[in-house]
Amino acid sequence: MGIETPDNGSYMVAAYVVVCVVVVGYALSLWRRSRQ
Amino acid sequence: MTETLRLAVVLAAKDLRVERRSRTALVSAVVFAALVLVIFNFARDPATVTAKMLAPSVLWVTFTFASMLTFNRAFSLEKENAAIDGLLLSPMPRGALFLGKYLANLAFVGTVQAVTLPLFVLFFNVGLGQALGGLLLTIVLATIGFVAIGTVFSAMVVRTRFADLMLPMLLLPFLVPPVMGAVAVTTRLLSGRPLSEQMAWLRFLGVYDVVFLTICAMVFPAIFDE
Amino acid sequence: MIPTLDDAHATIRRGLLITALALAGVGAVIVMALWMTPTEVRQGLAQKIFYLHAPSAWAGLLAFSLTGITGGLYLWLRDPRLDLFSEASAEVGLVFGVIVLTTGPIWGKPIWGTWWTWDARLTLTLFLFFLFVGYMALRNALSDPAERARFSAVVGILGLLLVPFVHLSVYMFRTLHPQPVLLKPSAPSMDPRMLRTLLTSVGVFTLLYIGFVTTRYGLSLRREARGVADGD
Repeated sequence: MGIETPDNGSYMVAAYVVVCVVVVGYALSLWRRSRQ
Repeated sequence: MTETLRLAVVLAAKDLRVERRSRTALVSAVVFAALVLVIFNFARDPATVTAKMLAPSVLWVTFTFASMLTFNRAFSLEKENAAIDGLLLSPMPRGALFLGKYLANLAFVGTVQAVTLPLFVLFFNVGLGQALGGLLLTIVLATIGFVAIGTVFSAMVVRTRFADLMLPMLLLPFLVPPVMGAVAVTTRLLSGRPLSEQMAWLRFLGVYDVVFLTICAMVFPAIFDE
Repeated sequence: MIPTLDDAHATIRRGLLITALALAGVGAVIVMALWMTPTEVRQGLAQKIFYLHAPSAWAGLLAFSLTGITGGLYLWLRDPRLDLFSEASAEVGLVFGVIVLTTGPIWGKPIWGTWWTWDARLTLTLFLFFLFVGYMALRNALSDPAERARFSAVVGILGLLLVPFVHLSVYMFRTLHPQPVLLKPSAPSMDPRMLRTLLTSVGVFTLLYIGFVTTRYGLSLRREARGVADGD
């Protein structure tokens, strides 16, 4: 096979971290607002 | 229906009369359009970007920004002395109110465009020639729909504190499809291609006009019922 | 129909419970994507961004569509709860919009070689995002609840109608985005394990939308109920 798999795992990690931060962050903000 | 149309024309005539006596909105919009054209001319490097390359985009950016300036006039005019309440209390149907404001806006935008186009030809050294008829058709098709949306939004944002900021924020996303189509057609017309090649875009603009003019007329009464 | 404080609290609790379940689901999807799904040969690990990106785009589109639809229903039925749902759905849609607009470029840089391109779906997502930022700004600038409900319903409906036009207009320029892999009529080109991860993720993000929007809707209900209780 002449196909070379590119080494771009760092982009994947960055995207996964962003998703976790946004999703958990918004969930926490909702939770905090519900305590008020 | 004819009565609605008659009342709409009366209302539009009233707006134009007010404007003829004060000449604030139109003069500032036209001056603004001229200034934008001048600034665009200097906001390019003449050695690398020719005026002709930039011309279609400049024309449409100027048209849309200058048009947007005239929209807020329609309802901020009625806000003074609570004139809008008088309009709403009058037996005029809401449909006529929409149509009247729409026609007045159309007249304003049309005037701004009528002044801008010759200035554009002059400043950017564009030879319209054969393209003029097609260009006028494109301008009409690209204007009908978004003026309807501008009329609806200006009736709403006048009730907020930051009307001048709110209107472009809401309206600009709606300008993307017509401006895109208009720029595409204008570019090809100015490079001497026949209008018949642009039927797909013209049809697209026509559908946009029909859809948004209809839906704007339908939702407009909802803005005012208490 | 005036919601009671108890209704609001029950809705918030239910929403938070669904959100917690969905968050666990997101964790499961990440485990599935990283360790139980083969790496695409040509795109490498960056292709796995797709398992979070596409489902977020789906959830965002769902959120914005429901904002427009409930706005339209509000103009027809005039039930304030429909407007509260619109508001909740718009805010949640912005959250998914942020995910789509950040993961998209992170994927685009290694695969397309550029962070941003004016491709049809990217542009559509960006303009939907702007539109709903405007929607929220308009809501915040109005104080009368009935007026706010009517105005934002109008923006929601017009926004929903704008979607096909933006998509078509950008498409008429040209497009670079990968064509939908799932709905292609020919044999699905995807490895079954990849498909399983993707479908699981779509389910999880739908659940996450439900959890978020229920909680946020409950918060709006509580705000209204408190307003009524205060004799406001």
